Amino acid sequence: MTTTFENLNAGDAIAGPQFAVSRESIRLFCDASLDYNPLHLDDEYMKGDFGKTNFGGIIMHGMNNFGLISRMITDWAYPLGAVHRRLETRWVKPVRPGDTIQPTGIVKSKQMTSKSRWVLIDVLVSNQAGEKVATGEAMVEFPPD
Amino acid sequence: MARKQVGAMVQPDAFETDFWKQANLRKLWDDIIPGEPRKTIPYTLTREAIELYCAAVGENHPLYFDEDYARATHYGGLIAPPSIHILLMFSCTPADDWMRSPGTVNAGQSWSYNIPARPGDVIRLEARALDKFVKRERLFVVHDNVFFNQHGEVICSGRGWTIRPT
Repeated sequence: MTTTFENLNAGDAIAGPQFAVSRESIRLFCDASLDYNPLHLDDEYMKGDFGKTNFGGIIMHGMNNFGLISRMITDWAYPLGAVHRRLETRWVKPVRPGDTIQPTGIVKSKQMTSKSRWVLIDVLVSNQAGEKVATGEAMVEFPPD
Repeated sequence: MARKQVGAMVQPDAFETDFWKQANLRKLWDDIIPGEPRKTIPYTLTREAIELYCAAVGENHPLYFDEDYARATHYGGLIAPPSIHILLMFSCTPADDWMRSPGTVNAGQSWSYNIPARPGDVIRLEARALDKFVKRERLFVVHDNVFFNQHGEVICSGRGWTIRPT
């Protein structure tokens, strides 16, 4: 059955792509985003403490999670004629080289407004241990025909 | 950072990837004034930059790569993925911008999308800190960012929360 605004239900699942994190993938994200913060590059620097936090080595950009969630939402929305309108995220746990992460989404609710139709989606990124590394919420517009 | 004029646009000659350089010129949490605009630089988004960003997150939708495909859709041509603002945040700000301060930790983001950015767009950022606060001994700043295209149309707007280095 084709997915439409009408037949979407709370609890419907959206699967995102698995993503293998490596020093190379983090370096590529530096080059693509121009974010060369030493958090993502410099092992010596990352031996130090950040206030009460010690990361113990380089970490992936939080915005790499954001980009993967966004990719999941757009790849789901385009074939439905829908438009990715909003994404809010919080980072829960650092992601390190060697981790494999995957975003997923669960439809939370639908909203009709005077001019359009909207779907709210709870999103989450998990690592290979099943731990949450990022959580958030997306909003997708289904423009009326 | 040296810049050259390209037509009406200002482009960086080379992006400074060593974020320690000019670190002493960047504002600390103490110096940041909520409401004060940040310095920004217009940036011409290229197809190559979009493709490199797509490679980094595994984006492979033909709307970003295949001109014939994209032209036949209601988008009418190639677009960038919505999350291209991740690149635009650094390409539209100068080397002494405090978003580059080593140790800046991203705590969360929320972004709203209006129209897509496209290859060839000359993109302008209006940005400022909106708020700053201390929570559990950490120094937070709330950022307010809006990207416009060369027609003055809003591409996207976003808010970010970062923890500042002490």
